[in-house]
Parts: sequence; structure tokens; C-alpha cells
Amino acid sequence: MQGKKALSISLIFIFWLFISAQSNLPKFSSPALITSAGQNAEVQMVAVLAKRAGIEHNLNKLATAQDLAGFKSLLLVLGASMKGLGAAGLDLNKEMERVRGLLKGAEEKNIPILCLHLGGEERRGAQSDEFIKACLPAARMVIVVKSGNKDGLFTRLCQEKGIPLIEIERTTEALEPLKNAFAQ
Amino acid sequence: MSKLRAEHFWLFLFLAIIGLIPACRTAPIKVAPPPADRHLPYEYVGRKAMVVAAHPLAVEAGLKILKAGGNAIDAAVATACALNVVEPFASGIGGGGFMIIYLARENKVTVINFRDKAPSAFYPEIFTEKGEEAPVWRTVKGTAVGVPGALAGWDLALRRYGTKRLAEVMQPAIDLAEKGFKVSETFSSINKEEYEKILANAGEKTVYLNNGLPYEPGDEFRNPELARTLRLIAQKGIDVFYKGELASKIVRAVREKEGLMTLEDLASYRAVEVEPLRGQYRGTEIFTIPPPGSGLHLLQLLNIASFWPVSQWGLNSARYLHHLTEAMRLVFADREAYLGDPDYVQVPVEKLLSPDSARLKANLIRSDRVLMEYLPEEIKEHTEAGNTTHLCVIDDRGNAVALTQSINLFFGSGIIPEGTGFILNNQLDDFASTSSGPNAPGPNRRPASSMAPLFLFQEGKLKLILGSPGGTRIFPSLAEIIINIIDFGLSLDEAIEAPRFFSYSQHGRIRPLSLEPRFPEAIIKELEALGHKITIREPYDRYFGGAQGILIDYKRGLILGGADSRRDGFGRGY
Repeated sequence: MQGKKALSISLIFIFWLFISAQSNLPKFSSPALITSAGQNAEVQMVAVLAKRAGIEHNLNKLATAQDLAGFKSLLLVLGASMKGLGAAGLDLNKEMERVRGLLKGAEEKNIPILCLHLGGEERRGAQSDEFIKACLPAARMVIVVKSGNKDGLFTRLCQEKGIPLIEIERTTEALEPLKNAFAQ
Repeated sequence: MSKLRAEHFWLFLFLAIIGLIPACRTAPIKVAPPPADRHLPYEYVGRKAMVVAAHPLAVEAGLKILKAGGNAIDAAVATACALNVVEPFASGIGGGGFMIIYLARENKVTVINFRDKAPSAFYPEIFTEKGEEAPVWRTVKGTAVGVPGALAGWDLALRRYGTKRLAEVMQPAIDLAEKGFKVSETFSSINKEEYEKILANAGEKTVYLNNGLPYEPGDEFRNPELARTLRLIAQKGIDVFYKGELASKIVRAVREKEGLMTLEDLASYRAVEVEPLRGQYRGTEIFTIPPPGSGLHLLQLLNIASFWPVSQWGLNSARYLHHLTEAMRLVFADREAYLGDPDYVQVPVEKLLSPDSARLKANLIRSDRVLMEYLPEEIKEHTEAGNTTHLCVIDDRGNAVALTQSINLFFGSGIIPEGTGFILNNQLDDFASTSSGPNAPGPNRRPASSMAPLFLFQEGKLKLILGSPGGTRIFPSLAEIIINIIDFGLSLDEAIEAPRFFSYSQHGRIRPLSLEPRFPEAIIKELEALGHKITIREPYDRYFGGAQGILIDYKRGLILGGADSRRDGFGRGY
């Protein structure tokens, strides 16, 4: 009997922790500008998830600081794709220049940034990590597919800056944290 | 007495023979299981027969046919068809390819060309007139889709050299499409890479997406629509695809996306049997495919390399990488100048394969720096995609097949004829970006291809069966693998897994040297000092293809399979 009571109290406590953690997470407003840092393919998935989450948004793969006008949030999808860079006619340096300009623009306009890394382990490596390291310190919140954080890079960078980090198992699971982040 | 002795003699002889039988029987093959790290070199072993392909389930499909008494051609078609199901993003009945066949009893090598063709309404300016929008029209619009040749090619090969009917060899693929399988990391990552195209052309409800999003590794993938399509073809024959209800669906899907294909284009498609191209490399004889494939350029590269003491320079040495890279750039200039559909343009094969041509190029290459200019010819951009697929089969009679097939870029055009479950190619992207020249778009033409499946014979015996996907990296990668085996003495899978490099020339100008970063840093610095601009790729990058090979070790009586870990390569023998 006492065991049951203890279990109930524990469950209530865990639920309270979950609720308070959720309510402590930063809130974002729409419309959101969605772009990638590295011309990856996952940016398109984020656009579909944003649509499903009811977030008013615009996907612009080549967005610059000027394109931030009128937007209240920036969703930055992290990870380098050689294929994507080639298709966009960019090299790593030019893409990094675009991303840095965007980060600076967001900071100047006080637009909160939500970073997502949905490509898992495969979307890591020296080139992707450059974008991750450049963007993460500017993020208000980070969502990462667990396999992309096997080495704890996201955990470490987020802890250093006190940025909330949400780990998910699969891309589709990004839907709920996105909904919550934009819920008013 | 003498009768008794004679009886003893025969009894003794009988017992001796009986006693020897177990000793003569083939000892079971003891092989270590594949290593946990799939990139570590590992050879599949057999004694009688083997199938190597880009997916374990496709290999099983081929083996099933071999064990049911089929020959290498039957098994190759079964494997090719199963690849349509388990690796649908790389090849299938919506695409085409080339097959090189060795018939052991006749000691004959032949080639089946089932490369896709342009519709009859195609014209040279079809892409150039689109201006900056040309890449879209070349890859994701109906104008990208060539008349598919796979079914016609498989059917022709079976009718001429197989022992089983198309319906029989398609059955394992039908079963796989119905029952489904678990998605691999390779499948998932390509599915993610091509998400935008799939979404745009096939929509969120397509079987190639999981509730509108890409499949994750481990997800179950079933394709009942493709199972229905394959069963229909098995029941009614390939005419249902080229002249029947499937033809109507293909034409409707292509024309809805502003393509030009007609029912007549499909009805008039024919796969053709052609003579193989022959060449030599350091005492071995190589049989590969003629134009519009790139066997010619593979042989050119090897011809040039034969003028150099490659083995003395050392495996992965800067000197070797520099020289072969420069050779690639020169060969690519020739490719742009001369390669096209031999039914419409004259390709100077003999001249390009002459020792003089190779010597000239070998002498042109400087050891102290890169050439800044190569033969100035128009050349189309080299796309990133690794695409295509390759399989190898050898049967217990010594017949062999090397088959490379493709829907061009991963997930092809992304166009799926309604309710059919198969993806149409965007093979017409392989035409040149100009409206003139040997590989300009034109009616009924087959675009130039980089595919180069091959056989290598040593001392008159089939030694190596090899091929690879990988776009324009195909024939340079095959040359590297052959040099790794012949000059550097690597085992088959060591040769396949060894770090790769690739470059080409464009408009006669030097292009970057792409490298897997497993080359030592000092070598990369040395190459930079010689004038190469380096692009570092992933350690095992799909960009360089996914080679599959079978090597016959006559001394040990073994058949060895090498499958590329850059994709889901797998092999099995018995």
C-alpha cells in the first residue's frame, strides 16, 4: 500500500518536473523564417513539420539578414551537404559567410533562433561541425536527433551557454517540441 | 586362385575409390564472419558460384535462382529485378543500363545495351532554350525521362542466354515487394537527401515516404504497388510495359510533367546486343562495354597508366595520385569531345585506344606541377549524385555477368506513373549541356554514359568481374581498383575499400581533386604544392560509387567477392 503511494507521489513529481521543464522552455512566435546552415536536405523536412505544427513560416534556402524583415523567429537547420551546396552554387566559405550574416542580423533584430539538427550521425563530420559550432551559441533552443549527438557535442555546447536541448529519437518527433515552442 | 586374386583386386579397388570419395569432396568453406566495422576489407567466399550486389536481399534473390538450376544470366536478372525493390532509388524498370556476359562453354563475351533513349520528339535545343532553368528540365521534369530499357534488356538477355523465363526470375522481387524489408541507413539517408524532389513529384502520400516524411533506419518498407506491377509483367510479358496499360501510365505521367514521350517511343524501344570493347593492361585482357558507355575511357586511363612504374611509386603516393588525376583530366577532355551514341556519331575508338594516344598523354603530364590547360572542349557540369547500381554473378559452369543499371540520379526524376510503384529515370540529364557536339540531345539517341562493367582475363582465364555506380566517377574508380589489384597487389576488397580520388577537366580547365580524407595529410599537402585544389569528401563517400566485384582465385579454387561499404554492398557464394 505504502509502495503504491510512493509510486504515485513519484509519478506526480516526475509529471510536475516535465510540466515545469516545458514551461521553462523558451517560446517562439510566428511567422518563422526557415533556412539551413549548410544547405542540407533536412530543411525541407522542417518546413513540412512546421506546416503540420501550424506555424506560419517561409522556407528560404538562401536567406540573408535582409530576408529577416517581418519574421519573429529563425529556424536554422544545421548540417553541411556537399550535394546541396553544389546545387546552390555555393562553397563552404560562401555558405558560412551567409550564415554568419544571418546570425548577426538575427541578433541585431532580436529575433530568437531555434536550431535543429535532424540528420543524425550521418550529418556530422568536420564540415557540418563547423556550422554547428558557429550557430549553436546563438540559439535560444536546440532540437537534435539523438544519433547526431552521440559524442555529446550538442550537450557540451548547450551546457556551456545554458541553452535548452531537446533530444529526439526520430525526425518526426520534432513535431511536438516545435508545436510547444510556438504555442502561445 | 587367379580368379580369387582378381576378385580381391577389384574389391580392393572398389573400397579404395569409396574411401577416397570423402577426401575428394570439397571441404566446407571456413570463413570469418564480416567485421562489425563494415568498412574493413572483407571478402565473401564461394567455391562454385557467387552473387555480389548492393543489397543482401538482392543477393539472396540471385542465389535462389542459381540454386534452382539457373545460370548466371538468370541470376543476374533476378538480382537486378530485386534491386528495383530493395534499392529502388538507384535502378529499376524505370531505367536502363548495360550488361556484359561471359559464356564459359563458348568462351564468348557479349554485351547487352539497354541504355534509355530520348523520345523521337527530342531536339538539340531542348535544354539550352530553358536558360537558367535548364537544370530543372534536365532532372525533375518529364523532359528528363528517357524511354526505359531495363525490361527489354533483361528480357533479351534471358531469351538469348538464360535458361529460365522472366516470370520465374522476377518472383523473388515480387515476394520482396509484398513482404517488405527493413530500411537501411543508406536507404534512409538517400531518402532524406532526395526528399524535396520526391515531395514535389510524387507527393506526401507516395510509398517512397513514410507518412509524408523520409524513412528512418529500421522502418519497415513495403511496396504493394510495385508488387502488382511486377506480377502484371510476369503474367503478360514485357509488352504490357512497352505497349500495354503500363505504357499508357508512363506516357501520362511523363507528359503531365511536360515531357515529350509518346506511346510510339515505348513501343519502338529495343535493347541491342553489341560486341564488347577489348583492351590490355599489364598482360591482362579487359572486356568492357563500347560507347555510349565509358569502357573506352576506362581503357584509356589504364593505357596511360601502363607507361608509368606505378607500383614503384607506391600505393597512395602523391606521385601516383598526381599522375592518375592528370590522366583523368585529359581523358575527360576526350570524353567531352568524342563520346556519344555510336548509332548517330562516329566515336574514334581505335584512335583513342592506340598506344600513340596513350603515350602522348603520358608524356604530356608533368611530374612537377599540374597542367593548367587540357583539351578545350565543352563539358557539362559533373553532378554530385552517386546513383546507379552494379551487380556481379558467376555460376557453377563458369558463366558470368557484370551488370550496371540506373535511373540516373538517386530517385531518378521522382516521377512515378500512377499506381505502379516504380520511379522513372532522369537519364536524359546525361546529354551534354550544349545543343551541338557528339552528346547533344537528339531524337531517339542514347545519352553518353559513364557505366563500364568489365571482365578482366589473365592467361586466358576469367579473373575479375567488376563494375560500379557513381556517375562520372565510375570509370576512374574502376581504373583505380584495377591498378590497386594489378600494380599494388591488394586483395579485391582492399582494392575496393582503399581511399578514392577523382578529378576532371571542364572547358579545358582544371577542376578540383576530390579525395577521401583517409590519405595522409602529408600527401594532401604535396598534391596542393603541385597545384591541385583539393576538395575533401567523407571518409567513405558514396560520391565515388559503390563497386562490386568477383575475383576467381584458381590456385586456391576459391571465388572471392568484394562489396563496397560506401553503399550496402553484400555478397554470398557457395
